[in-house]
Amino acid sequence: MDRLAKVLFRSSVLLAAVIGMQRAACASVDDAQSFALQAAEPYVKQGFQVREDYWGGDLASGEKKAVRQQLFKGNEYWFWLGTEVDQAKVSVHIYNSDGKLAEQPDSWAKGQLAAAHIIPKTTGSYFIIVSVEESPAPRTHWALAYGFR
Amino acid sequence: MILFAKDLKLIVAGVCGVALCAHGAQAPQRININQLSTTVEDVVVPLPNEIFGALNKLGAVNWKEHVRSDKGPNFTERPRIALLLGAVIADGFIAVQAEDASAVKDIGQRVMALAKGIGVGNSITPHAKAIIEAADKRNWENVRQELDRTQNSVQQAMNEVHDEKLSQLVSLGGWLRGAEVLTSVVKQHFSTDGAELLHQPYLLSYFQTRLKAMPEFNLPIIHQIQDALVEVKPLIDVGNAQIPAESVKKVNEITTRLGNGIVTRD
Repeated sequence: MDRLAKVLFRSSVLLAAVIGMQRAACASVDDAQSFALQAAEPYVKQGFQVREDYWGGDLASGEKKAVRQQLFKGNEYWFWLGTEVDQAKVSVHIYNSDGKLAEQPDSWAKGQLAAAHIIPKTTGSYFIIVSVEESPAPRTHWALAYGFR
Repeated sequence: MILFAKDLKLIVAGVCGVALCAHGAQAPQRININQLSTTVEDVVVPLPNEIFGALNKLGAVNWKEHVRSDKGPNFTERPRIALLLGAVIADGFIAVQAEDASAVKDIGQRVMALAKGIGVGNSITPHAKAIIEAADKRNWENVRQELDRTQNSVQQAMNEVHDEKLSQLVSLGGWLRGAEVLTSVVKQHFSTDGAELLHQPYLLSYFQTRLKAMPEFNLPIIHQIQDALVEVKPLIDVGNAQIPAESVKKVNEITTRLGNGIVTRD
């Protein structure tokens, strides 16, 4: 009986590991996007129009990616970054074309979600820097959505 | 009690300081842009309504005079259809600004026909139907959202069959129509803030690079656009200087000429 319990325990651990690996393998940028959109939800209620288009990819821990984006003075923007990896910590920040931090102080980062807010002082090209600060996964999917009003 | 209040203030100030330092540590105040070698290649081209929204905040715009819903000719060349599709979707956003339900419905039908012509009709049929339904209900927010979804679905469908170049032409068609209307509005009531909305040199360079990589699309309209972008670039790439009224007028002439070229048979 004891032996049977051990076998059952080992099998369930193995099964859980296989399921976990399968989930990780099947996870995609689309999953990350659903997290980014989850971060966007409260802002939609505030009148932000969320673009259907988004950026995505995967990064190792400590790796950064820069995205260039045309922003227009007069509009207000939020950029939302998400990953499906539970224990990951991500961040997103906005710089102007001179490399100066241009985001509002209410920008935030909470584990697998982060958001950056900007009211551009000038119309032009800006850099959105996304980063996976920490992650248990070797590569972490990320997706960046944005909205404006 | 006074001492406690002082201590409390110090603690609060300390906590705030630590929080600010933590935020500051995460995001340096300045970065070296030249060292950003890992920039992702894809650019999300702004939708025309992003520009129109900013324009609206500068003063009332008579959007009705910019509405265009005529059917226009049917093209057989896929690059021409792609350019026209982008321009027609932009027309949809203009019709939404003008709250012109009849024009929106015509544009919805036109989008459907053009998408079929380019082989991506199935992916946008539900969106085109949703556009027409939302226009009937005068639900402008839904129309706007469905127009965005339409463009996104069209481009995704094209990318899936490795027609990325056509997908880029859809974006270009929309960007050109947006620039045409933007310059037309700013030309009528000039303001430096309005002219500043044209400051999009990076996007222009992006389209120039993409067009250079399309030698197989050997069509007069593509060459005209390439030449026109060369003309437009110095007018809008002014660094920190202001874009003068004369430049806005010139960009309007150029984009209007291109706009006519996109909707007219050679």
